[in-house]
Amino acid sequence: MIAIERISKTFETRRGASHLALGEISLDVADGEFVSILGPSGCGKSTLLYIVGGFVPPSTGVVALDGKPVTGPGPDRGPVFQEFALFPWKTVLGNVMYGLLERGTPKVEAEAKARALIGLVHLEGYEGFYPKELSGGMKQRVAIARTLAYGPSILLMDEPFGALDAHTRTGMQNELLEIWERDRKTVLFVTHSVEEAVFLSDRVVVLTRSPGRIKETIRIDLPRPRRRKELLVDNRYQRLVVEIEALMDTPAQRR
Amino acid sequence: MTQRAAPELLLGILPIALILALWQALTSFDMAPPALLPPPMAVFRRLVEQLGNPIFLQHTFTTLLRLFAGFAIACLVGVTLGLMASSSRVAESAIRPIVRVLAPVPKIALYPAFILILGFDHASKIALVAADALFPILLATYQGAVSVEPKLVWSALAAGTTRRKALLTVVLRAALPSVLTGCRIGLVISCIVVFLAEMISSTDGLGHLLVYASRSFETVDMYVPLITISLLGLSLNAGFNALRRRLLAGYPEAE
Ligand SMILES: Nc1ncnc2c1ncn2[C@@H]1O[C@H](COP(=O)(O)OP(=O)(O)OP(=O)(O)O)[C@@H](O)[C@H]1O
Ligand SMILES: [Mg+2]
Repeated sequence: MIAIERISKTFETRRGASHLALGEISLDVADGEFVSILGPSGCGKSTLLYIVGGFVPPSTGVVALDGKPVTGPGPDRGPVFQEFALFPWKTVLGNVMYGLLERGTPKVEAEAKARALIGLVHLEGYEGFYPKELSGGMKQRVAIARTLAYGPSILLMDEPFGALDAHTRTGMQNELLEIWERDRKTVLFVTHSVEEAVFLSDRVVVLTRSPGRIKETIRIDLPRPRRRKELLVDNRYQRLVVEIEALMDTPAQRR
Repeated sequence: MTQRAAPELLLGILPIALILALWQALTSFDMAPPALLPPPMAVFRRLVEQLGNPIFLQHTFTTLLRLFAGFAIACLVGVTLGLMASSSRVAESAIRPIVRVLAPVPKIALYPAFILILGFDHASKIALVAADALFPILLATYQGAVSVEPKLVWSALAAGTTRRKALLTVVLRAALPSVLTGCRIGLVISCIVVFLAEMISSTDGLGHLLVYASRSFETVDMYVPLITISLLGLSLNAGFNALRRRLLAGYPEAE
């Protein structure tokens, strides 16, 4: 379980002033739960994920995993960054194999696993390409495969489908749901798309304008497994989307 | 820097050809006394002759040995210190002031001290080369390492890489374009400085050959070491570029 307890983040700016990037956030995420985070740009969604990942320490509060406070990054939490952050000197295959080799997986086995994951994100034939030779959407899929490779039980995904075209995006959503339904990973998923959040999640957390605090948590009790074409015509789905969109649009936020 | 187009190559050769033509003109129209400025053909003929002369080759080898030894030390120390300064506050506070103090000192002013301490032979010249080539490499490494995208390091840490290992396999690797630019400057400086040191005090090496020839008014022999070091610099640079292209295969900067 991820227990996020009253964390906030203040950045010191150059001129010695301090800037509150993330208001006080408390959130519990159960094992195997899929939680999406929605909120206006700059409200601190990425910062929240960095803190849970252990990359950035919170200014106040603690994050605990199964009762143990987070002190740094670890392979139990797999991040997929908004900016992909692929290793430019490694090919697609090299990037995906990285985590496996770091764990001491024998090379032959690591390569076989990596190739399977590259297939999963539909990049067969691009194994030998360098990241600079890929489109934004392809890079994002490599980043997802690289993280899935070392089998983290928690996925921290920062707008992982943001750079994808609508078609690939729905494909990847289905793919992610399939993986999730199979392995029951815990997922913290940042997105700007309300439909995506509702389609994927057990719970949607809406943050306020910067500095982000939790404005509302909405439980999405649509039946699983979810099929896109069934959901799109489902009244409950439509109502949830409308409700959350309204939440994100309230004047209180435009202040 | 992929294959240079032929017109560009021609454009690069043109100024060199012009200088040679000017040199030829000066000598053939008797504008400079042949005793002071021999015709280019005489110099090149002598160069070819000397390339078959074991004694001349021995001198060239000595120069190359000092150049490489000094350059290698500069690379090792410069990259190590640069990386250390980029990765820890403590190291940075220790390294920054000493770099500030030593970098602007003309290293040639330390040469007499090097001779007194290290003797007249290789060691003092190697030390001078290393001292001069060190700072551009150190500064470029530091600059490159601090501007590495943190998410690259985070991605490695999340996959289970230790901080120490990530410093070498991620930070240094990602900073490589900058590091190699520093090394390239260091290499050119090494060529200049080794020659200078040999001119000032030596009984062997190309620099010594030049001074020796000029003292005995052997003008043809005076220009031969000069052209040799220039050709050496040219081929070292070409070798370095080939290495750089291989190492930077995936980097956007390497284009
Ligand atoms: N390293 C930093 N130094 C100072 N301020 C920062 C730093 N990183 C983020 N911030 C500030 O923190 C706030 C939240 O940033 P964050 O990237 O978490 O937002 P976000 O919700 O992910 O936005 P987006 O949806 O655009 O990705 C912003 O106001 C930003 O200016
Ligand atoms: Mg963000």
